[in-house]
Amino acid sequence: MSYFSLILKNPFRNKTRSALAIVGIAVGIATIVALGLVTGGLKAATSETLNAGGSDLTVTEANSNFMSGTIDESRVGELANISGVKNVAGVLRKTPIINTSVEGGFGSFSVNGIELDKLSVVDIEGVNGSLFSPGSNEIIIGKTAADSLDKKVGDTINLFGEDFTITGIFETGNIMYDGTAFTSLDTLQDITNSPGEVSTIYIQAQDDTNLTELSQTIENTYPNELSATSASALTDRINEGLSIIDSATWAISLLAIFIGGVGVINTMIMSVYERTREIGVLKAVGWRSRRILGMIMGESIVLTLIAAVVGTVLGILAAVAGLSFLGGEISPAYSLDVFLRGFLVAILVGVLGGIYPAYRASQLPPTEALRYE
Amino acid sequence: MNEHIIEIKDLKKRYDEGKIAALNGLDLKIKKGEFVSIMGPSGSGKSTLLNMIGALDVADEGTIKVAGIDLMKTKDLSQFRSQEIGFVFQMHNLIPNLNVLENVEIPMFENNLNSKQMQERALELLKAVGLEDKIRQTPNKLSGGERQRVAIARALVNHPSIILADEPTGSLDSKTGDIILKLLRDLHEQENVTLVMVTHEPYVAKMADRIVYVRDGKVYEEDDKID
Ligand SMILES: Nc1ncnc2c1ncn2[C@@H]1O[C@H](COP(=O)(O)OP(=O)(O)O)[C@@H](O)[C@H]1O
Ligand SMILES: [Mg+2]
Repeated sequence: MSYFSLILKNPFRNKTRSALAIVGIAVGIATIVALGLVTGGLKAATSETLNAGGSDLTVTEANSNFMSGTIDESRVGELANISGVKNVAGVLRKTPIINTSVEGGFGSFSVNGIELDKLSVVDIEGVNGSLFSPGSNEIIIGKTAADSLDKKVGDTINLFGEDFTITGIFETGNIMYDGTAFTSLDTLQDITNSPGEVSTIYIQAQDDTNLTELSQTIENTYPNELSATSASALTDRINEGLSIIDSATWAISLLAIFIGGVGVINTMIMSVYERTREIGVLKAVGWRSRRILGMIMGESIVLTLIAAVVGTVLGILAAVAGLSFLGGEISPAYSLDVFLRGFLVAILVGVLGGIYPAYRASQLPPTEALRYE
Repeated sequence: MNEHIIEIKDLKKRYDEGKIAALNGLDLKIKKGEFVSIMGPSGSGKSTLLNMIGALDVADEGTIKVAGIDLMKTKDLSQFRSQEIGFVFQMHNLIPNLNVLENVEIPMFENNLNSKQMQERALELLKAVGLEDKIRQTPNKLSGGERQRVAIARALVNHPSIILADEPTGSLDSKTGDIILKLLRDLHEQENVTLVMVTHEPYVAKMADRIVYVRDGKVYEEDDKID
């Protein structure tokens, strides 16, 4: 038998007590892991959405909901003439009634109308298949939407009472777009009876343009009509929110270390207390204090490592369940970082919780330990 | 064989803030390879004496030299205990979640042996005490006598020069006790190890080369038997 296997055996002597300690620490670790996975997922999703190559500014109808609202199409051409603007795309967004729901998309399945040469502004650089021709009933659909609608290139899809031929499938990596479809702006305006209308105008700025100034200019030119949001401003606001969650994660981690540490101290003190006689015997057979210290510390770390494994599994389950409850648009961000944090906290708890009981055990006077009933 | 392995002079030890004089100027010399029985009333200091010889505790005054080491002057005594001493207590004191083999291996953790060497040596001792067919049992499955055999194997596993046995048959019936006693005596002879044994039974004590009577923390009579 090795010293190591002795250390592995001992925590299982009082199974109930060890299990309780493990559960206590595991809940803490699970919280840390779950929050880490969720915030990571949120960060990834927002940066995907907001920083994806495409546009720099999003222009919507002032005082309207981000997703609804209409803008006169003539503004598209006007905005293109403002200095600092490189490219402009007007997009009409309509939500058809379809039987199948699109899972993993950003909200419900929507169809966007856009001019063919503006696709790069919304980050569509190429398709699997071919692009739609202007004014036709041809459509390209995002990978996520294609998967959940079970459609492939060449299939037809009935939207707004018309049959569309799917000519291509695109994937931008942006959850805002991949769950939608794009067709010719003219066609969509026609069949949805929205002539001269767009929902959103996306603007690509020239490289050295100050986005805050540009959006100010746009809003001043069209007061009470247009509102412009820069992607980075939105990112900043979201990141601010996320950093609050980050601090909360750390605070919870500290709390977990503290509560877990107290639990471990308690468990190990009881274990040492019950084994007083046995520790006396170990001294009598010549064990050095250091070896006894190491044994108890080791047992403490074994407890918290088991808790780390249990907590990590619980944390993943909680994150997956939580995010799918929120609609499943965001997936947990599995990173080594999150799991390492969980394990480091566990080891820290094991060391901090083990030090005192281990020291006590190592310093027990052998004669008194052996007299202990 | 005149060399003294244990030399104790005027040894004093008080407990409970000096209220109890457990050893009160005790003198004792034991030769290498000798078998000495210690007798005396309860509370007379017999266990304290054994604990001093085994360096489980430090005396207040006097001199005590064991296996050439001055125990009053040595700081870390764990190495001494590991190499020179084997304890057998009244209670077997086996570790309940370890099997017989593992219990016997416990003292060898301080020697630089690998698992295989540890196991070989433990098996050797378990054969000597007649438990080779019970090595995978846990202590709670063993009889009292069997447990004490395991404790004896554990005491001998590191080739100690002295076995200290504190009422080793005290919790056994007399028949089992006799067997354990004979085993201890035989092993003492085979391994040529010094055996110091505390006992209450006069007939047990008579098996020894010499009986030492302790009262009030002092040796008051030594009975050298003439074989
Ligand atoms: N560790 C200790 N702390 C306090 N008192 C002790 C301790 N060890 C022994 N004593 C006391 O010292 C005296 C001698 O004890 P002991 O050596 O165990 O006697 P014996 O083994 O002869 O019965 C007793 O009065 C006992 O209560
Ligand atoms: Mg005693």
